[in-house]
Amino acid sequence: MLQTDEILSTIQMLHAEHLDVRTVTLALAVDDCAGTSIDHICRKLRDKILHRASALVETCDRIGRKYGIPVTNKRLATTPVSHLVAGHGHATALAIAKALDEAAATCRVDFVGGFTALVHKGIGAADATVIRSLPEVLSQTQRVCASVNVASRKAGINMDAVGEMGRTILRIAEATAAQRGFGAAKLVVFANIPEDNPFMAGAYVGEGEPDAAVNIGVSGPGVVCSALRRRVQLGGKLTLGDLAEEIKITSFRVTRVGELIGREVAAELGVPFGIVDLSLAPTPQVGDSVGEILRTLGIERIGAPGSTAALALLTDAVKKGGAFASSSVGGMSGAFIPVSEDAVLSEAAAQGSLVLEKLEAMTSVCSVGLDMIAIPGDTPAETIAAIIADEAAIGVMNDKTTGVRLIPVPGAKVGDHVEFGGLFGSATVMDVRNVGASAAFVNFGGRIPAPIQSLRN
Amino acid sequence: MKTRFPHAYVLNVMSDDHPGIVAAVSSTTRRLGGNIDALSQTVVGGYFTLIMVISLPQAADPAELAAAVQGPPGGKAGLQVTARPFIDCEGGLCDRKSERFVATAFGKDRPGIIALLSEYMAGKDVNITDLYWECTNDDFVMISQVEIPPSLDIALLQADLEQMGREEGFMVKLQHENVFVATNQLRLVHGTGKSG
Repeated sequence: MLQTDEILSTIQMLHAEHLDVRTVTLALAVDDCAGTSIDHICRKLRDKILHRASALVETCDRIGRKYGIPVTNKRLATTPVSHLVAGHGHATALAIAKALDEAAATCRVDFVGGFTALVHKGIGAADATVIRSLPEVLSQTQRVCASVNVASRKAGINMDAVGEMGRTILRIAEATAAQRGFGAAKLVVFANIPEDNPFMAGAYVGEGEPDAAVNIGVSGPGVVCSALRRRVQLGGKLTLGDLAEEIKITSFRVTRVGELIGREVAAELGVPFGIVDLSLAPTPQVGDSVGEILRTLGIERIGAPGSTAALALLTDAVKKGGAFASSSVGGMSGAFIPVSEDAVLSEAAAQGSLVLEKLEAMTSVCSVGLDMIAIPGDTPAETIAAIIADEAAIGVMNDKTTGVRLIPVPGAKVGDHVEFGGLFGSATVMDVRNVGASAAFVNFGGRIPAPIQSLRN
Repeated sequence: MKTRFPHAYVLNVMSDDHPGIVAAVSSTTRRLGGNIDALSQTVVGGYFTLIMVISLPQAADPAELAAAVQGPPGGKAGLQVTARPFIDCEGGLCDRKSERFVATAFGKDRPGIIALLSEYMAGKDVNITDLYWECTNDDFVMISQVEIPPSLDIALLQADLEQMGREEGFMVKLQHENVFVATNQLRLVHGTGKSG
């Protein structure tokens, strides 16, 4: 029999703190959709997605209702489309993207990830085709998300790919200039891309994954923030250790909810349960903010000294609570700091307390990296590439995932305000300092060798 | 439920709350050579109540049994006791396939809310297994653990209850108990398979 106080504390989380499951992502291998003609590939792709995913949204909604917990996003992830593009050309890449987009719309999922190229050691022909098609793909589709892995602990950093991504991001932004460069928001450039990440834009199905699996992203920062506030209001002498403990307990509970719903969705869809990603993913909604957590931890202005340490405390406590709650933790599992999607971070960037370099420092202790950051549209490709290289270096040297999702807003200058809408939020165009001063470094190209840490055998 | 001795009785004990009630009840059972097979007690508003199943090696008259537990009139314990023969209904009347849900309601207190909710549930054959009600400064909290027959559509029950809450001015939610187990207890719960 459940105890009354247990029920009351859960009710508090569910209704007052808006606990949700942030995403249920159905991971699908689509390599078996390969074919000799464009039409054949696209037909197989549509048939497979509709067959496996058409019940996803309805199932998530029904199970969410049963537990009284909404599933905010329902998504699809596929194996890299480069596998299907191999042996074909640009037209096939574009047709595949459109087929994915249509199938996702028919299934009513929010996004489909997997327009992916893995180029950390070298750029294969199919990967090159995928990368070249990105400006058209991301400007002509609604739901397709792309990711490119340019570095890994074992391979080092492929600077040719990094340079190419600097140019590609600018082309995507130009191709979506009417939407203030929004296409670039649907692309993440990774180091150490995780194979089972349920979060967009970087979700894809990597090597060694099953044919299908359900991966879960847990609830957002709002729940953790409310729990911390409640703890602070209770008063008494509190130390950071006490606050870390509160985060840990909350993380345990939200992870349990994610796994409960994920396992049931998986069972109903007849696919294995994959992983729970513990990442705290903010939304522009008031209160659902990683920045707000840092404020509650006593950092008055985000970006002030102490921000990195506070974020480290948060990320670590989230992992500890989540790891105890579930034996199936995966994905990125940390805390996201996507600037435009987090109202408090966005405000800090607008006020100038949070700058690009501080964000970079913060990414060394949380998951992903420089995420959803608007920069001037005339930022040179080499500078964008150099920012990617810096972020990849943090990932490769520290054996963690890092990513870059920069949006060069065409025609915009530092301080301009840009609305992306919905979950993507709004951003103030941030200053990129020392523009152009790293071109020679980037233009050397080649590969930054794998670090000594890669020699672990 | 299996009892230790063949002759089983269910007893209800009520009293104002004070030390020694459980001792009085259990020592009488021991004196009769019997065994307490199941027991649950609670205290509400300073009043104590207890329900228990006891079994005896020999048959007894329920009224005499109640009198024995109650003790002499005007005794220190001041108990009010009723008893009846115990008939095992687990697995019989109770539907073991039922799923367990938790209904919670919050709002401004007024007479008749429990009646409203419980009449609705009774009409749907929903069995209330545990009920908690607390009222502070005119605000009430109700927590009701219920068993819902598999034939009922959970989404429709939820819609009915939520609509009732809207019409009557309180908030009511119905959720599967596993979400409370998952968030509070160390043991892992797995989905119940087909939902709704």
